[in-house]
Amino acid sequence: MPGQRASDPGGVQPPESPAIHTIELSKRYRAVVALAGLSMTVARGEVFGFLGPNGAGKTTAVKLLLGLSRPTGGEAMVLGAPAGDIETRRQIGYLPELFRFQSWLTAREVLILHCRLMRMTRQGWAAAAEDALHVVGLEGRGDDKVGTFSKGMQQRLGLGVALLGEPALVVLDEPTSALDPVGRHHVRVIIRELRDRGTTVFLNTHLLEEAEHVCDRVTIISKGRSVATGTLAELKVRRPSARLRVTGLPGGWWRRLGSFGRWTEETPDGEWLLVEEMSAGRVPELVSAIVALGGRVEAVIPEHQSLEESFLKLLGET
Amino acid sequence: MNPVLTIASLTVREAVRRRLVAAFAVLSVVLVGASGWAFYKLSHGGAFTSGETNLALPQAVVLFMFMFSFVVALSASAIGSLAVSSEIDSGVLQTVVARPVRRSEVLLGKWLGLAGLLGAYTAIVSGLQVAVVYWTSGFVAPDPAAAAALVFAEGVVLLTFVLLLSTRLSALAGGVVGIALFGLAWLAGVGGTLATAFNIHALHTASEVSQYLLPTNGLWQGAIYYLEPSSFVTQQLAASPVGQGDPFLALTAPPWQYLVWAGIWLALVLTLGLVSFERREL
Repeated sequence: MPGQRASDPGGVQPPESPAIHTIELSKRYRAVVALAGLSMTVARGEVFGFLGPNGAGKTTAVKLLLGLSRPTGGEAMVLGAPAGDIETRRQIGYLPELFRFQSWLTAREVLILHCRLMRMTRQGWAAAAEDALHVVGLEGRGDDKVGTFSKGMQQRLGLGVALLGEPALVVLDEPTSALDPVGRHHVRVIIRELRDRGTTVFLNTHLLEEAEHVCDRVTIISKGRSVATGTLAELKVRRPSARLRVTGLPGGWWRRLGSFGRWTEETPDGEWLLVEEMSAGRVPELVSAIVALGGRVEAVIPEHQSLEESFLKLLGET
Repeated sequence: MNPVLTIASLTVREAVRRRLVAAFAVLSVVLVGASGWAFYKLSHGGAFTSGETNLALPQAVVLFMFMFSFVVALSASAIGSLAVSSEIDSGVLQTVVARPVRRSEVLLGKWLGLAGLLGAYTAIVSGLQVAVVYWTSGFVAPDPAAAAALVFAEGVVLLTFVLLLSTRLSALAGGVVGIALFGLAWLAGVGGTLATAFNIHALHTASEVSQYLLPTNGLWQGAIYYLEPSSFVTQQLAASPVGQGDPFLALTAPPWQYLVWAGIWLALVLTLGLVSFERREL
């Protein structure tokens, strides 16, 4: 297994290192701080979403993890080795955000070039290239020049290149930015298959929908720093809220039920109300309390927080 | 396969696929063909006496070789300036250096591939030129192989320098700076020969220094020496009181110390390029 450490003579295996571990990782370009102390841990085998708005420092972080750029502070370990370690790169597949392959090569030649750069044995090149073409849906286009490919097809080929050699870690930087809905769905299927194989996927994206579909955990970064990390459920957790339409009670009646949460009148007649920050499971109790006061509960609409709402809230945009 | 050789073969394949090799082949055949016609007319046209022809032929060979050396230098500057910076701008290199290869291996592979192309071009064109000149006029330069080797060395010097620039500057800036300095080194060389003829000490010193800073013209002067028979040099010096000021006349072979310096210069600049590329943020 790639990256697995040999057992010691006493038979006690040391714990496997995380796929990615950063401590206060920083990058500064003169006066501009691109990354301001990023600390995160990505476990092996998980699909980890790296979310943030444009300019948050996502691509900078990816470049630091791959050794394309040098940090100005902090440290990063990838698959148990310092970021950028040459040998470790054998176990990493990378799809950059902005890239181009040699336009004068065919798709198959690009894949074989990368097999050679990865120092795979010559016997395996043809099969690996064919397999990659099949996985990304480019079978039948292997002998076409890359220069004739659309942006989406180039992105598919880039994904195929990233998957060569069954890497232990696949870093995908905005992998679906040029793809149509079918292509996006296809990429999600590929990512789930990678997870099933035990491959760690580091998904850098600003598409929240993409993260919601495939990620086990995400971290949200803003202004070069992680502002939240957790499972999607954890990030979405906000004490439930509900919209209510209540009639038959005098104005301001809800002040008597202030302990249920934060109340807001949404309409001038006071019939529609929003209750936020409720304790979990208290909606039935609330309805009972309103009825006990003599009110008629015409409607109850439970509110669920979307990832987008959490995202915006964490970024201070709401 | 070693990554250096992988990148070198990729570089050569790119030159072939992008029809650079085909374009140079056609251009060379046309130029060598034209030179064949010129040499035939020079030796069989009846316009010169045999003595004049003997003087004209080495000069014509040097002029044609000067043209080819200029093509080699221009090509070295153009392909060298595109090699790194344009691939960084397009994102091609990011996909390569993320693999388990050292950046120095990538740059060394490019250098090797491009130098191989220059070497092949110089060898083929020089060989064709020697054959055509001999066939049309019967003239053979004293040591055309040594001359071709020095023209190749001149091209590799410029290629290495421009590759270094390409690790930091845009393709346009690197190419322009490379060509400008190449021209400046040549002009400094011309100034140096005039300074020798007219005993202008300061200009001579400045010229000498420039030949060490960028040894392209020094190597070209060496190539001239191996193209001109000693009898021709003697006649030229006797014919003109300022014969030493002729930029297409070389009185002495390039000193071995100078050739060693050119080798050291090449190694230093190449190492600087490797370090610069290793440290470059991508």
